[in-house]
Amino acid sequence: MSKLVALVIGIAAWAGVATVASLIVFNIGDKNQVFMFLPILAAVVAAWGIGELVTERALVEHEEGL
Amino acid sequence: MALFERAFERRELKDPAVLKFIFSDTALAPLWALARMYLGYQWLLAGSHKVWGSDRWIAVSGPDGLALKGFWERATAIPEQGRPPIVYDWYRDFLTFMIDHEWYTWFSWIIALGEVAAGIALIVGAFTGLAALGGAFMNFNFMLAGTASTNPVLFVIAVLVAFGWKVSGWIGVDRWLLPALGTPWQPGRVFGRVRAGAPPAARGFKPGPTPA
Repeated sequence: MSKLVALVIGIAAWAGVATVASLIVFNIGDKNQVFMFLPILAAVVAAWGIGELVTERALVEHEEGL
Repeated sequence: MALFERAFERRELKDPAVLKFIFSDTALAPLWALARMYLGYQWLLAGSHKVWGSDRWIAVSGPDGLALKGFWERATAIPEQGRPPIVYDWYRDFLTFMIDHEWYTWFSWIIALGEVAAGIALIVGAFTGLAALGGAFMNFNFMLAGTASTNPVLFVIAVLVAFGWKVSGWIGVDRWLLPALGTPWQPGRVFGRVRAGAPPAARGFKPGPTPA
């Protein structure tokens, strides 16, 4: 069950990246590309961190159990 | 005859270590992630103008894709003086065929949604290689139609990202997606046929030190 939760958290994190990127690009436009890129980069780093701390551990344990 | 056999004999030529490091080593995954994200951001930006706002290509009152039709007509026009935008006659004929058959009404949807999908896939690193190839294909077509703009630069980045497909999505969804789905030559867990001796990187493990 904890592995499923970890997987859902990982999926949600990357779905959040897609949502953030879409919201920023669609709402702000291309007024300042650097300003727009930074939040997307931050979202990717956050999702990667969540994946490392939560999902990766659960999945690697699962793999090693095979 | 021996010469002919020699031309087609099977022999694997090894890649230099530097190429393996660039395209297969996860140590460079952060750089690939940046390249991939920049590419995805540019595609999402380009797609957003086509699906949203007053100048959008699709879901407009009246026939869809009139902007695309205008682009095709400008591309296929042959000026009285100077060179036409399209160099290859077969490509001009192809675009003319699509104009004559009003394909712009549905093709605009493919381009607009394809750009958005490629952009999002590249940003989150899902099916990175395929998304980069799709983007490169669109760049290639825009260039064939005589539009330079940012296409040459994006095309080169897309080809490089496609070559580095194994590590481009390592900091992204591909880290779990590729081991789960696998590849046509090595199916993943979902298809239940992961080989016991598969390389660690293909199974989602962190690779250990490279043997000397």
